[in-house]
Amino acid sequence: MPRELIGLSVGQCGNQMGSVFWQRLCAEHGISKDGILEEWATEGGDRKDVFFYQADDEHYIPRAIMIDTEPRVINNILTSPYANLYNPENIKVAKDGGGAGNNWGQGFSAGESNNMYEDMMEMIDREAEGSDSLEGFMLMHSIAGGTGSGLGSFLLERLNDKFPKKLIQTYSVFPNAHEGDVVVQPYNSILTLKRLVNHADSVVVLDNGALARISADRLHVQTPTFDQTNQLVATVMAASTQTLRYPGYMNNDLVGLVASLIPTPRCHFLMTSYTPFTSDQIDKAKSVRRTTVLDVMRRLLQPKNRMVSTRPSKTACYISIMNIIQGDVDPTDVHQSLLRIRERNLANFIPWGPASIQVALTRRSPYITTSHRVSGLMLANHTSIASLFKQMLEQFDKLRKKNAFMDQYKKEKMFANGLEEFDDARAVCEELMKEYKACESSDYINYEKDKEGAA
Amino acid sequence: MSDALHLLVASIVPAARDDPVLHAELTAQCQDILNSRIGGHAREPDLPHLTDLIKRQLLQSSPNGSASLKFTNLLSRLLDQPVLSRKNASIQFLHSLASSPNRPPPNFLPSLAAPPPATTQAPIEVPGARQPKGKSKAEILREYRAKSGRQHLPENLLLRDTLYILQGISGKYIRFAHEDDADTEEKLVFVEDSKFTIPTPTRTLIHRLSEVGYLYTRVDAFVREREGASGVGMIEQSLCHHLQAQLTEYYRMIAVLESQMSAGASEEETGLTLRRLDVWINEWRLRMRMMSVCVEGAREAQGGALVNLIHGYTDNGDPFVRKFTDQLLEDVSKPFFATLHKWLFSGELYDPYSEFFVAMDPTLARLQSLHPSSLTGGVGPLSGDGGFGGFGDGDELSAERESGLKHWEAKHQFQQDMLPMFVGETFGKKIFSTGKSLNFIRYSCHDSDWVVTREKMSNTGGTLKYSDIAGLERSIDTAYQIASRRLFEVFIDKFHLLDHLIALKNYLLLGHGDFADQLMETLGPSLSRPANTLYRHNLTATLETAIRSSNAQNDPPDVLRRLDARMMEYSHGEIGWDVFTLEYKVDSPIDTVLDPESILKYLKLFKHLWQMKRIEGTLNVGWMRIARDARSFLRVPELEPQWHHIRLIMAEMVHFIRQMQAYCQLEVIECSWKVLLDFLNKKEGDMDAMLEAHRTYLDRMVKKVLLLSPKSGRQENTLNLVKELFSTILSFREATDNFYNYCLSESSRRDAIRAAERGVYANPEPEPDPATLPRLIQRFTQYGASFSEQMQTVVHQLQGHPDLDCRFLAIRLSFTDFYRKKSSS
Repeated sequence: MPRELIGLSVGQCGNQMGSVFWQRLCAEHGISKDGILEEWATEGGDRKDVFFYQADDEHYIPRAIMIDTEPRVINNILTSPYANLYNPENIKVAKDGGGAGNNWGQGFSAGESNNMYEDMMEMIDREAEGSDSLEGFMLMHSIAGGTGSGLGSFLLERLNDKFPKKLIQTYSVFPNAHEGDVVVQPYNSILTLKRLVNHADSVVVLDNGALARISADRLHVQTPTFDQTNQLVATVMAASTQTLRYPGYMNNDLVGLVASLIPTPRCHFLMTSYTPFTSDQIDKAKSVRRTTVLDVMRRLLQPKNRMVSTRPSKTACYISIMNIIQGDVDPTDVHQSLLRIRERNLANFIPWGPASIQVALTRRSPYITTSHRVSGLMLANHTSIASLFKQMLEQFDKLRKKNAFMDQYKKEKMFANGLEEFDDARAVCEELMKEYKACESSDYINYEKDKEGAA
Repeated sequence: MSDALHLLVASIVPAARDDPVLHAELTAQCQDILNSRIGGHAREPDLPHLTDLIKRQLLQSSPNGSASLKFTNLLSRLLDQPVLSRKNASIQFLHSLASSPNRPPPNFLPSLAAPPPATTQAPIEVPGARQPKGKSKAEILREYRAKSGRQHLPENLLLRDTLYILQGISGKYIRFAHEDDADTEEKLVFVEDSKFTIPTPTRTLIHRLSEVGYLYTRVDAFVREREGASGVGMIEQSLCHHLQAQLTEYYRMIAVLESQMSAGASEEETGLTLRRLDVWINEWRLRMRMMSVCVEGAREAQGGALVNLIHGYTDNGDPFVRKFTDQLLEDVSKPFFATLHKWLFSGELYDPYSEFFVAMDPTLARLQSLHPSSLTGGVGPLSGDGGFGGFGDGDELSAERESGLKHWEAKHQFQQDMLPMFVGETFGKKIFSTGKSLNFIRYSCHDSDWVVTREKMSNTGGTLKYSDIAGLERSIDTAYQIASRRLFEVFIDKFHLLDHLIALKNYLLLGHGDFADQLMETLGPSLSRPANTLYRHNLTATLETAIRSSNAQNDPPDVLRRLDARMMEYSHGEIGWDVFTLEYKVDSPIDTVLDPESILKYLKLFKHLWQMKRIEGTLNVGWMRIARDARSFLRVPELEPQWHHIRLIMAEMVHFIRQMQAYCQLEVIECSWKVLLDFLNKKEGDMDAMLEAHRTYLDRMVKKVLLLSPKSGRQENTLNLVKELFSTILSFREATDNFYNYCLSESSRRDAIRAAERGVYANPEPEPDPATLPRLIQRFTQYGASFSEQMQTVVHQLQGHPDLDCRFLAIRLSFTDFYRKKSSS
């Protein structure tokens, strides 16, 4: 009875991420492109059943559900070498196939039209019922476009209602704040962010801008391809589920992981850092030479390795940190590294409660060879993420003030009667930003009371 | 023979060729000499002494020194001659020929070698030489004494008696004191008759001589006594043998002396005097002393201790003593080395007289003969039902278990005082453990590959003996290494020790997190019930499920069948959480390492870790409730501040429990495990080292996981505080659940009201008692506050904990100095 997770990939970006992620899981578990366990994959100790189940004929099938409003990306996946991996019943493309036109509203309403909801729920129900003890869902999407954001938001709302006892974790790609290729992305982002706040339990924020920056700085690739970025993302996703797939003493379930990172339910936007990225995961990446535990843990704390671009702030602090360290690690090194980091004050923490760096040592897949001894992923809840929200709000406000590009949205049923939803979403996001800000002060203990007093 | 003599006489003394009388006389003389001690080569006088003697004689006869020079010349030529083999004897012969009383006429011509113009032997010579000068003063004195009737006893009589004394027999004039002559201090009694007296110097001399005789009687008595007695140790037997050999040598010497005395008896002057006798037996005096010391020692010590005693004399500056003891040891240690060989290379203790420095407990020795035949080859059957049986087999098991460690620890004992010093303590320990290992492999592990190993070892062994200590040490080292390696191999490869250790770590120390979570999840609800409502079959069934649905299913079946879930003995009022335990059953010979005491410690650790797991689980459920469920179901906005409060307290609790767990896992279990694993991978050291390594591993974990303090009486102070924290968390969780339920019913009440407002009929729920809410709030607030307080104390205590790792836990818990700031504010 494993604690299964169902992967939902929505939209162009989500499906691209998803396919790379599943490929990576296959590689880590020694599953072939067709879902057959490789003959050499005998070492065991891993739990394939978190993300896969076995068909009657011993095929491993990922609990992957792929949804899109246009067929292009999904068709690509279905013509890729991994086409046979997926359960064809788990793929849903909107009937008209016209996409969502980068419009959140269009994506959202696509969920309701043409039996889309029923078909999606049928898939999800089937997977949920096929699981012994489903722990939750992993949604992969981007919040800038139309489908991932709109249809993704729709799904979040429905999942939340339909599975009130299951965790919902999302891997959300936030748009590059400076050079977005979608003009209306501030609208889409804020509208989606509201759902992420209200209907998800934990959101792993993947900032496209930061991903590009890391590609350039760390990997020395100036214009990363989608594939390279997606490999980056897949690496992070795989590492963050490592403890679930390779069980050890602790962190064998998502709830434990999330509970230690998220003390208050709204502040559930997690940043990640990963080091070292090398050519094993990313094509053409330059390798990092030294990997000791201390080295890895120190690198993880450096802002430049974060996959979220935030504005530096003196008051910003960590609410929680979880380091997932993989590889050949001497347990005493962890001890030393923690002391060193504490001595040098490399991380600021919240003043209103105890906090520290949690370290989980996990095994690494025996089937993947890496050139470095230790690698690490940091999942952190950091208040500086407020600056990202602030930026999004500013951009939103710029457009909203002029009511620019609002016509397309007004066409949708949801906004036909008014644009209150925009303002409501904005309020939720601002609230979120404020709460993160409040976390930096010891008065956070009285946050709810103060809020009431203010109201 | 006589032909040769005739020829010799004829060629050396030309005068004799024509004079048959002289010829016959000379021949007889030669015959005499040959028959005497010189002819019999009982003793080879050394050449320098002989030549010295001859030179002195030559100088006497021809004071100008030319003869002596000539002799030297001739001697060196003789020595250069390769043909003659017995040069010493030749010279001796010629010398005594020359010094015989009826000298050949001085006008003979030497034909082969310079005829040493001889005189009589020195002591005899003197009076002979002086005779012509008239009576000496001594003679005058003697005559006076003879006249006065108090003559000195003739030396030849005394000599005979002395020879008797040397053999431990009382003589006519000198006898040993009887046992009952207690009043005389002298051990020796001189019997003087009226005719003769014995002068004091002679008495002293005889006293000196008689010491050897006295010692002889003692040694001889000892040897005789041991010959007849039964139950004499082998080392003593070989000591007796050596002594006997020495005594035989001694007898031979006495015989020679006697013959020399009797040879001279016919003459007025004998070839032997008391003084010469003294010189003769001087060396023997030392030997006898040594022997007597050994004999004395043998009365008190036996076996190795005796060897030790003798060995004590090898560090002697006197080369004679050293050589003698070396020889003695060589002999005496033979049985020791025979035993050693058997012990070192086959692990068998063959020591019928308990002389070895390893002793065996006879009661346990009997056990071994019962077991092996029935259990040869492979793992002994655990018990019929494969380990999941009832309580009954548990008892049997524990009875059987006793034997494993006991066998190892008590079957053989190291006896320090029996250890020969030349072996040295480190090597002694090595020998001890090597044999023990082999014995253990043989009897407790029923190793069928044994023959191969033994052969391999015997080949490297060679023979062990005292004179080759370096070789002995080499052999010991090799044997030790082979035996240790073998033991490690047997334990790790054949009995899968590592598998069991890993299993203990994975199951009892919750290393298999998914398994533990699973077990917790399925078992948790029933463990809250009273202990007497739990059924063993339910527990085992749950265990099975947990195994099958976790990665534990990949473990070897031999490991899984040893795993059991059961209840400890419970008293009234206890609930499942108090009494539930996992158990891992081990059998012989693994139980040598995992003895019942160790298993108890594992269980103790399990209980604590399991409790921690329980807290973690309940907090996870709590988190789901406050985060996930509260979001979905609760619509009571005015209670948000309370929820916020609860969340922050819970975050603190989550932080605590997770840091605690991480500490136990990383700092304690993994770090200790690493040390143990490094040790096992090295495959060095013996069984004791292995036991010790495991014990250290386990003790370290017990000490650190349970945060035990070395201060007596306060060992469990911190642990108790931590346990209190646990129970506070549980109470807090219960309080929040109650609060949650209140909010839930409140929201549904409001939903109903709202529905009613919209005109939908709903059964309106009654307003809750207004006192309920403050009571609920007050409860969790109170638990939260006391948690914070207790946390503070725990952190404070840990900061001052004597154990460094425990102190590090304080750092983990208060990484940001949260608790210090809090206490100062």
